[in-house]
Amino acid sequence: MRLRRILYAIVTTIVASSLFVGSLAKWQDSGPEEGWRYAGYEQRIPVVSVCYIVGAVGVICLGWYQLKLAGAVTSIAMLLQDKKGDGIGARRRFFTPLRMTKIDELYQAISKHFAGCNTRIAEYEKQIKDLQVQIQLSQRRGGNTEAIIYSIRDAVIVIDESDRLLMANEAAGRFFNFDFNNSQHKHVSELIGHDQSEFVDFLSHSRQSKGQATRKELEFSGDGTSKTFDCIVSCVYDQNRQVCGAIAVLHDITREKQIQQMKSDFVSHVSHELKTPLASITAYTEMLADGEASDEQTRKEFYSVIQNQAQRLNRLIENILNSSRIESGLIKVNKEPASLTMLIEEQLQMIKGYAEEKNVEVIGQKPIVFDQVYVDKDMIREVIVNLLSNAVKYTPSGGSVKIGTEVDEGASLARVSVTDTGVGIPEDEIEHVFDKFYRVGANEKQAKGTGLGLSLVKQIVEKVHDGRVFVTSQVDVGSTFGFELPLATRQGSRAM
Amino acid sequence: MTGKKVLVVDDEIHIVHVVAIKLRNNGYEVISADNGAEAYELACKEQPDIIVTDFQMPVMTGLELVENLRQRQETKDIPVIMLTARSFAIPKEQQEDLRISSCLSKPFSPKELLGNIEDVLYQKQVMVSS
Repeated sequence: MRLRRILYAIVTTIVASSLFVGSLAKWQDSGPEEGWRYAGYEQRIPVVSVCYIVGAVGVICLGWYQLKLAGAVTSIAMLLQDKKGDGIGARRRFFTPLRMTKIDELYQAISKHFAGCNTRIAEYEKQIKDLQVQIQLSQRRGGNTEAIIYSIRDAVIVIDESDRLLMANEAAGRFFNFDFNNSQHKHVSELIGHDQSEFVDFLSHSRQSKGQATRKELEFSGDGTSKTFDCIVSCVYDQNRQVCGAIAVLHDITREKQIQQMKSDFVSHVSHELKTPLASITAYTEMLADGEASDEQTRKEFYSVIQNQAQRLNRLIENILNSSRIESGLIKVNKEPASLTMLIEEQLQMIKGYAEEKNVEVIGQKPIVFDQVYVDKDMIREVIVNLLSNAVKYTPSGGSVKIGTEVDEGASLARVSVTDTGVGIPEDEIEHVFDKFYRVGANEKQAKGTGLGLSLVKQIVEKVHDGRVFVTSQVDVGSTFGFELPLATRQGSRAM
Repeated sequence: MTGKKVLVVDDEIHIVHVVAIKLRNNGYEVISADNGAEAYELACKEQPDIIVTDFQMPVMTGLELVENLRQRQETKDIPVIMLTARSFAIPKEQQEDLRISSCLSKPFSPKELLGNIEDVLYQKQVMVSS
C-alpha cells in the first residue's frame, strides 16, 4: 500500500509538472516578451510534446488507480455486508468507477458493521457478566459444600484415582490424627496409621472395584478403648463415567453396638428370669399331677409355690411392659392422693417372705403425720418393691435393710430412702445403675437380674411424677437408694 | 439305685425343694447347696454319686463348679447333669471336655430328670463293673 501511495504521488507530480511545463511553454508563446519566445521556441516543441504525452499517461494511470480504488471500496463494502463476491463480480467491481455513492455505501456499510460490532460486544459483555455470576455461584456452592462436609460429625475422606487425599473434614482429621487442612495430595497410607490399615485397604479396594458403594463395619482400638465404625465408600465418577476417586464416610456406631449387646444380654436375662418361675410352676404341677405330694400339707405347700411363682412371673412381665409403655408414653396414669407410709407398709409385707428366706432383716419406720403425695399408687408400689427387693437381693445373710421417709416442708418434698448393709457399688459404676439393662459387673454374680428394675424406678419417679432418684454407695459397706416426690399440697392445686 | 447320694445345686430354693422331694420319693439321699462355691465344698466333703446343678448361679456358676470338680482327684469322676434356662449355653465340645453327662432345659420335668439320673448312674455302674 505504501509503495502504491509513493507511486501515486510520483505519477501525480510528473503529470502536474508536465502539464505545468507544457502550459508554461504555450503561455510564453503567446506572451509579450517576443525576444525570449523566438530565441528557443522551435527547440522546445519536442519538450512540450513529451510533457503532454507524460501528462496523458499520468491521467490514464490516475484513472486506472481510481478504478482500482473503487473496486477495493466496493469489495470492502460487500465484505462488511457479508456478501460473497465471485470472480465476475470482482472484475465488475474492479471496473466500477469511484463515485460518492460508493463512499456513502462504504460509510453505511462501515457504520452498519460497527453497529453490529457494538451489538456483539454488548452480547459478549452480557455473557461475561453471566459467566461471572455463574462462577460466583459455583464458588459459593463449592464453599457451601465444603462447609457442609467440614461440619458433618461423621468422618469424611475424599481421595483421587491414585488414593491421594483431595478433601477431609475435621472429624476425619481428629479421628485419624492428621492435619486435615494441610494434607492434600498426600497418599492416604501416609496419613493413616498402620493400626488402621484395614480402612486404607478397604478404601483403596472399594475404589478399584468401581462399584457404586461398599459397606463394612470396622473396629479400631487405641488408648485402651475400642470403637466400631460403619464405613461406606462410594466411587466418584467423572463426566465420562470413569471412576476418578472415592468418598468414604465413617459413622461411629460404638454406642449402637453397645445398645445392641445390652439388648441381647437383656433378652438372655429376661428369658432366664421368665423361665425360672416357669420351671417351678411346671415342676410342682407335674408333681401334683403324678401324686408325688403325699399329704394335704405338702399339696398346700405346692399350691402356694405355684401361686407365688405365677405372681413373680406376672410381676416380671409387668415390669417389662411398663418400662416399654412409659418409654413410648402409652401408659395410663391414675394419680390420686396417697400416703407414702401406707404404700411402704404394704410393700414391706410383700417383701417379708423373700427377706426371711435370705435371712435379711427388714426394718420399717414410724408413721409420719403428713406424707401425702399425689401419685399413681400402683406405680409407686412398683418403685418401693423394686428398691426393697434389690436391697434384700444384694445383702448377704445376716444383714439388714432399712426403709425411711422424711418430709421437707420447706422444699415441699417427701423423701424415701432404702439403706442396706449389702455389697455396695464401685464408684465408677454408680452413675450407670439407673441405665436400662445395666448391671453392675462386680455384683453380677451376686444375684440374677434383668437390669430393668432401677431403670423402671427412674422412669416412674422422674418421667411420670416429676420427682428425682438418688443413690449413694460404698463397696462392702452398703448402699442407699431413694427418691423424692413433691408433697400433695403442691401437687394438689395442679390436680384440681 | 436306691440309697445313692445326689447333690442338688440351685439358687432357686423351690427348684431344689421339688427335685429333692422327687428323688427322696424314689429312694435317693439328697444333699443341697444354693451356689457353686458351697456345692464344691460339699462335693469334696460328701462325695456324692451324682450332681444336678443349675447353670447360672451367683458366686460360682455351674460351669465353674464342674471345671473345679474335674481338677480334683476325688471329684473328677462324679457325673454331672446340668439344668439351664439358656438354650445352647454350653457348646457341645465344652460339654464333652468337661464330661457333662446331660443338659436339661428349664422348664424341665422332674420325671425326665429322674430318668436322666437313673441312666447316668446305670452307665457309671456298668463302666465300674466292666
